[in-house]
Order: sequence, then structure tokens, then C-alpha cells
Amino acid sequence: MRNLLLAACLLAAAPEAQAAKLRVVATIPELVDITARVGGERVSVDGLARGKEDIHQVVMKPSFVTKLNRADAVVYLGLTVEHVFLPGLLDVARNPKIRPDPDGFDCAGPGCIDCSEGVSLLDKPATLSRAQGDIHPQGNPHYNLNPENGRIIARNIAAGLARLDPEHAADYERNLKSYLAELDAKLAEWRTLAAPLKGVKAVSYHKDVPYLGAFTGIVFVDTIELKPGIAPTPTHLAQLVKKMKEQGVALIVREQQYDAKTPAWLAERTGAKVAVIGTMANSLPGTGTFIKLSEANIRNILKALGKDK
Amino acid sequence: MKPLLLLAALLSLGPSAAAQEPPPPSEARLKALEERLLKLEAPAKTSLSAFNPAMGIALDTAYGHTNGASNFNFRAAELNLSAPVDPFLKAWAIIVGSEGGVAVEEAALQTTALPHNLTVTGGRMFASFGRLAHFHTHELPVIDRPNSLDTYIGGETQADGLEVSYLFPTPFYLTATAGAYNKIGGENARVANDTARPMDNFTYLGRLAAYTDLGGDHSVELGISEAWTPKRFVTETAAPNVRTRRNTWRSLAGADLIYRWQPAEGGLYKGLVWATEVMQNNERRFDAANLPTDRVRAYAGFSYVQFKLGRKWRPGVMVDLTEDLDAAKTLTRTFTGFVTYDVTEFQRLRLTFARTTDNLPTGLGRNTVGVQWTGVLGRHVHGFRDR
Repeated sequence: MRNLLLAACLLAAAPEAQAAKLRVVATIPELVDITARVGGERVSVDGLARGKEDIHQVVMKPSFVTKLNRADAVVYLGLTVEHVFLPGLLDVARNPKIRPDPDGFDCAGPGCIDCSEGVSLLDKPATLSRAQGDIHPQGNPHYNLNPENGRIIARNIAAGLARLDPEHAADYERNLKSYLAELDAKLAEWRTLAAPLKGVKAVSYHKDVPYLGAFTGIVFVDTIELKPGIAPTPTHLAQLVKKMKEQGVALIVREQQYDAKTPAWLAERTGAKVAVIGTMANSLPGTGTFIKLSEANIRNILKALGKDK
Repeated sequence: MKPLLLLAALLSLGPSAAAQEPPPPSEARLKALEERLLKLEAPAKTSLSAFNPAMGIALDTAYGHTNGASNFNFRAAELNLSAPVDPFLKAWAIIVGSEGGVAVEEAALQTTALPHNLTVTGGRMFASFGRLAHFHTHELPVIDRPNSLDTYIGGETQADGLEVSYLFPTPFYLTATAGAYNKIGGENARVANDTARPMDNFTYLGRLAAYTDLGGDHSVELGISEAWTPKRFVTETAAPNVRTRRNTWRSLAGADLIYRWQPAEGGLYKGLVWATEVMQNNERRFDAANLPTDRVRAYAGFSYVQFKLGRKWRPGVMVDLTEDLDAAKTLTRTFTGFVTYDVTEFQRLRLTFARTTDNLPTGLGRNTVGVQWTGVLGRHVHGFRDR
């Protein structure tokens, strides 16, 4: 009888314990990872994109609406990188904590956790015109490819969680410190690892690598795409071959979501080596976390250039 | 002498007092500086135009060739304005200019802060009947709206009225919508929008829509809709005082099913959408002189499959079968092959070939070749409803 009563009490208490957790939805897998690390047992985290997609092409699934409808917070990269899915989903999620921004960008509301706050932005456009391709008004939004920015992302998430759940702010701060200690150790390791990449000239498929260039010292001189989001044309590719030869470009960075054929064609004509990188966690095998993705990207580039010894 | 001593004492205290306060960590100072810089760089939100609505224009033009005759067709310039009204409401207006003139296609207010997952939309809107019926023409997968939708709904589901929708708090996506309108169908000439009518002359809508993921890359969406008009007044053409009202209820029922294959890996270059919609119309019909004839139950629908082959190419085929609303045995069939070329996210070219036939002894046979060119200026919204 006593056991039964105990079981009943536990069952009754279980939903309360569950309810006490902050329900967080993160747009991409590395944000799921970092939120889970910083939030610890105080949060339950659900993700939207799975990692292998092009972040500019993530599909708005109705199942995402139900997740966002019940969320206490949404964690996102921001700078309009999620513009094809996040504002549209927030618009129909009917959650007053996370509303679409009136300007049409990202999120507005107490539950919005923008990870881009405090990031030193690159490629901020001087003028805005669609003639420049699919540019982002506030600057290049792919800052998650600079491993250093993991610190800013984690801090923003910790600050957001503490704001929403001040009672457990100390827990988030403790988890943050633990995560940053791990990340800092890795950053030191990666700086040494990436040293041979300094000054290497490269092209990428999409203009999503400036932040990776800032960390590694790789000099990205052009993109395979004609302009951001605009598929390459034959004329552009012919000019790119010429430019790569003239400038001694040794590396072609292909983000895994883009086709392999064009980079291979370029490599054949220029002698440059192709490295495949991921732009989100889970995009490559064994890259389920921010740390694993960052390391895999550096190692893949080193390997392609034969500098991984 | 005393002031000098005091000054000396203060000077001697100054550095030591400063030394007692530890300087802020360089990272915090850097963050504070960055925040100040961001504020300085932020766009001026104080200008009077800051509250202007977001604006975009879709331009849609086409060339058509049918049975030996061709023309260039300026289909539409569609101006889209939208903005929050206040913390509780948003609004949008879509004004379309075409060869037929300028018209307000949509002008609606929608709540944003109602509790219990409720949303109320009022004004002129596209009623939530089916799926493709509430797509704007330039967003359709083919150049011309399927014949079944044109015949049974009367173009887009444009409706003046009020709609309430509810998102169920279920683990899977389930919504219910109820609406009341003057009528449904932008080109539905049965009833005029500007005529007052009794409540039983309105059209009432009910819709349920559900969605489920089938693994990570596949999904199915299912919807059922019913548009019910309890009564209608029809005045005989030859006798202005003779009106028919009895047994004039109309029921338009529909079901829509969408299967999508949208792989996460390689999704830029491959994918598939298969969509089918069927409708049943049940109403008492009237002849050319508005004399009542029999009640007719007729069916119509379409099915299409669209592939994504590469980053830019989306070919597909569509079959549309439409029974005549007056004589259900008369069937019009339209077979359409189409290929869409997405030049960029904001520019699209489309080529279609459509063959239309019917089962009448006289035999309609129409071949249409169409080329469509669409571009979007300004703000481009990725709406959930038109996905």
C-alpha cells in the first residue's frame, strides 16, 4: 500500500517537474546543442532544421508550428538567416511570447533569444538592392562558422534563459562556465591546428565563409555562385577559372548542401583542392554539436590541402 | 595655505581611490563599446516613414497561344502592403491592377493576441476553402487556375466576411476554421457583394486540416472543407416579381491531400509535391431565363505532381476533371504539362502545354501553349499559408 501511495505521489509530481522546465525551440542543431548544454536539466530543447538543409531553404512544416505554439522561447541565429521559415512560422504559431518582428525579420517578444547580439558583423552592405543577390541587410549572417562565436552564442543563450527563468540564473551561469571552459580549450587547440591555413587563397560555393576565414586566416577571393543565392552562370565560371589561376587559389570550399559537380569541374581546371564543410551541426557525419562541427570543418580543409599531418 | 593642503590631500587620495576600484574586464568594456557602436549604426527608427507598411509588388505577364490565336497578356501587377496595426492586430491589403482594371483583391484585419490559439480575420480575404483556391494566381504551379476551381468556386476564394480559426493543442498539427461571408469566389456572379441579405443567404464555411510527418523527409497534409449557403433568391429574368427561394441551398464540399517529399540532404536539388483536390457541388440550378431546373450533384477536381530536378527546374503534370454544374454528365478534361524555371528566388519563368477536351458529341478540343514571366519587387514574404 505504501509503495502504491509513493508511486501515486511520484506520478503526480512528475508532470509538475516536467512543467517546471523551460520549453525551448532552437532553429538549427548547434543551437539545440548549446541550449541543452547551457540549460542543462532546466530546459527541454526541440529543434527545427535537421542540419543537412541549406539554411536559406528550410521547409516550413506544420509540425514546427505546434512546437513553436507551446514554446517558452525560441533560440535563433538571427540577422534574417532564417527568413524563409522562422517569420512565417511565428506568424501562425499563435504564441504571444514569440511573435514575428514587425519589420518582418526574425522574432519579437519576451521569448526571443537572438544569438547574434554582440557578434562583430562582416559584409555589412553599404546599399541594399536585389541586384546584389540575396543579401542580408544587417550583414553576413553565417557567424556560426567562426568557432570563436560559440562563446557569444552560448552567452546570449545563457542570458536569455536567465531572463526567462531568473530563479535558476545561477544554474545557467554555472553551465555556461563549464561549456566555455570546454570550448576555450578547443579554441586554443584549433588555433594551432589552423595555423597552416593562414593566407591560403580559396573560393567557396556560397558567401557563408567570411567568419570561417576570420578564424583560420584563409583568404576567400570569390564564390562559385554569381551573387549570394544566385546559381553560377557559365560566364561567371569561366571568369572564376581565370581569376583562380591568376591569384593562385589553392582551395575550393564546398558547403555540403551544394552540388559536387561544379566544384569538381573547377578543381579539374585550376588544380585547387576541394574541401567539404558543414554550415550547420549534423550536416556532416559525426558533427552533432557546435564543437564537433567546428573541428570537422577545420580538419576537412586541412585534409583537402594535405596539411593534416 | 589651507586650500593648498586640502588640494594636496585630495590629489594624494585620488589615485588610491581609483586603485581601489578594479578596472572593468576588457571583455566587458569591449562588449559595452560594441553595444554603443551597434546603437550608432542602427537605422534611424525615428523617421516618419518608420511605421509605413512593408511593401512588395509581384509582376505577372504571360504569352498564350490557343488553336492558332496568340496574345501577350499582362496578367497582373499585385501590390502587397502589410503591417501591424497595434499590439493586437495586423492588416494587409493586396491591390491588383490588370487588364480588367484595378481591384482590391484582399484587405483584411487579423488578430494577433487572442487567447486559446484563436485567430479572427475580417474584411476581404481569401477564404480557407481547399488549398490552391486561396493561392494568388501568380503563385499557382501552372499558368491558368485549374478549370475545376474556376467553375466550382469562381476564381480565387475571395470573400467579404469573417473567419475564425483555432489551432488545437494536440501533439500533431490540427486546425479548425469557421467563416461567414457574403459569398465565396472572386468571379462568383451568383450574388453581389454590395447587396444586403438575410442571414440565411450568407455562405458559411467549415474546415479541418491536419498534418503529419512521415519520417524526416516525407509528409502528408489532409483537409476537408464545406461551404454551405442555406438559401438564395433568384429572380426570373422575364418576370421581375417572380422569385425562387425554395430548395435553393447550395453545398460545396471539398477534400484536399498533399504529399511532399522534401529531403533535408540534397533538398536544394530534388523533391516532389503531389496534391489532389476534389469537390462536390450540390445545388438547384437555373436556366438562362433564371427559371429553376433540377438539383444537380456534380464533381470536379485536379491532381498534379511537381518534381524538383536541380536547383532551378520544377517540371510537372496536372490532370483536371470537371463535370458541368448544370449537366453532371458533361465532363471537361484538361491535361497540363508544365515546367518552371526559377531564375532566382525573385524571378520565375514557366512554360505550359494544356490540352482541353470534353465528352460532348461536338467535341471541344483546345490546345494551349503558355509562357509566363513573373518577378517580385521589394518585400518578398514567405507565407506559411501559401507554402
